[in-house]
Amino acid sequence: MSTRPETIAPLEPAALEPAAVPAGRSLPRRLLKGLMSFARRAPLSAFWGCIAVAILVMAVTAPAIAPYDPLQSDFRRMQKPPDAVNLFGSDQIGRDTLSRVIHGSRTSLTVAMAAVLLGTTLGCFWGLASGYFGGRFDIVSQRFIEFLQAFPDLILAMAIAMALGSGTVTVIIAIAITRIPFGGRVIRAVVLSLKELSFVEAARSLGASHLRIMLRHILPQCVAPYLILATTHLGVAIIIEASLGFLGVGIPPPTPTWGNMLADALNAGIIPPWWLVLFPGVAITITVLAFNLLGDGIRDMLDPRLRGSV
Amino acid sequence: MYSYIVRRFAFGALTVFGVSVIVFLIMRVMPGDPLTAIFGPEGMTKLTEEQRLSYMRELGLADPLIVQYVSWLGDIARGDLGRSFFRAESVGDMVMRRGPLTAQIGILSVILSWILGIPVAIVSALRPNTIADNTARFISITCLAVPGFWLGMLIVLGLLFGFGYRAPLTATGASVFEEPWTTFQMVIGPAVVLALGQAAYIARMARSSLLEVIREDYVRTARAKGLNGRLVVSLHALPNALLPVITLSGILLGFVLAGSIPVERAFGTPGLGYAMFTAVNERDIFVMQNLVFLYAVVFVMLNIMVDIIIAWLDPRIRYQ
Repeated sequence: MSTRPETIAPLEPAALEPAAVPAGRSLPRRLLKGLMSFARRAPLSAFWGCIAVAILVMAVTAPAIAPYDPLQSDFRRMQKPPDAVNLFGSDQIGRDTLSRVIHGSRTSLTVAMAAVLLGTTLGCFWGLASGYFGGRFDIVSQRFIEFLQAFPDLILAMAIAMALGSGTVTVIIAIAITRIPFGGRVIRAVVLSLKELSFVEAARSLGASHLRIMLRHILPQCVAPYLILATTHLGVAIIIEASLGFLGVGIPPPTPTWGNMLADALNAGIIPPWWLVLFPGVAITITVLAFNLLGDGIRDMLDPRLRGSV
Repeated sequence: MYSYIVRRFAFGALTVFGVSVIVFLIMRVMPGDPLTAIFGPEGMTKLTEEQRLSYMRELGLADPLIVQYVSWLGDIARGDLGRSFFRAESVGDMVMRRGPLTAQIGILSVILSWILGIPVAIVSALRPNTIADNTARFISITCLAVPGFWLGMLIVLGLLFGFGYRAPLTATGASVFEEPWTTFQMVIGPAVVLALGQAAYIARMARSSLLEVIREDYVRTARAKGLNGRLVVSLHALPNALLPVITLSGILLGFVLAGSIPVERAFGTPGLGYAMFTAVNERDIFVMQNLVFLYAVVFVMLNIMVDIIIAWLDPRIRYQ
């Protein structure tokens, strides 16, 4: 939502220099050390980060760990409450809810990650160009971004998903478009403060082209805000994906997604069976919580000045 | 002050124009063909070429895009929001009938979110980094992670199994003035669900804003002259700390109107959000086009209103 920080200050140029790491230490050990210090400084984020990793692993290995085929219906076991055979119960045409929840993580995470990467990256390059060149291009871009932000994200995503027709790629594009303004605004603000610094001036006086200055000198400084944006928006993207599925404009059935499963539960009868409602929702909540807290931790680590702000 | 209001409205008008272009582009120009949206990809193959053309002409889709756009703007300017393919009721009538319910959900949820969020923020800000503060922050983070529509489904199920209660649902929607109790029962569920998410944002924002204000000189002065701690907070710190919260609350109200779509679906509340759900499922593009535009205009208007309220409360802003 729009309550994310609008300006994320760039790191000091020195903070990103890899030269500070003493030579001779292997990469895995350095990574491990970094992770350990992250765990010490933000234990809560580290804990939820582990859960996020577990969910990722679950998504990748879904076919191996799911007890049944998520699309296979067993007509002898329709709408059965949780028991030893179907741990999470089964739906109205006898598909195993646990398997569907596990497979749902795949769709959910694929869509959310692809959408956030696509949207934030597009937004970042746009913000980079508009902040760097300024002038008329900047004014027009700013207005356009304002127009995009005049829609609540869910409504914009619904309209785009409906106009393009249902499908995985459509949903990714729809969610990605709602993420563009955030990347655009944040990176533009960063670039505005960077382009007056002396290293940019030095590059220019050496005769570097605009493209070279933007890509070689300014872009690397945008990595930290980019990472912060990408991780903090994952949770929102997962919720939008679930809402689209719930409203019937997401990824079309029979693909199991958490939103589709909740919509199916509502359509199952006048009183939806509780196990069909409970488990997909718990999956959404835990996933979003894990990625939000991990994102908060990464933000605090990369940019301590933002600690505690919204 | 007046020049500020005029300027703000001029920008608002520009935004509404931009919004209308974007809505039109999404609905008419994007690769999806409106007729495919209406008939579905299979129905489309059954249409003959003549049928397709005659439908296009009938719906005004055969004209050049710019003509379509101008005639749409003309319709809107005349207050004609078009009608659905599938229903007799015009979109304008539907908005008048269903809109009030959604508006009540929105307003009630804002009120509830302040009642829930502000006290939590005060406790958190006065004792930062204590157990109470950390608990409050974790609860608010959890509230942000729970999808409202799922919580709604759980509440409906819980009330049904626990108490055998189901909120009254009338297809027509009830008027607050004629049947206040029925309306309240229909509205309170969605409002509570939507309030939780907002309350979390409000508590976070109010906490950080209070923490900043408490360090200001005038708060120290108030303390130094011997004013009791509760009065310092309620008279000096809180009113100033609430300014950014008002802005946030206005923006959130816009998001709540959008969030209300799946939540109304979960509760089965016959508000505007449910109409939006129906329209999107029936691929009713003209209804969608007008409703999306309406939601965006309401969103822009809310932002203008909030800006004006803030400028009225805080002279520093209007002289910028």
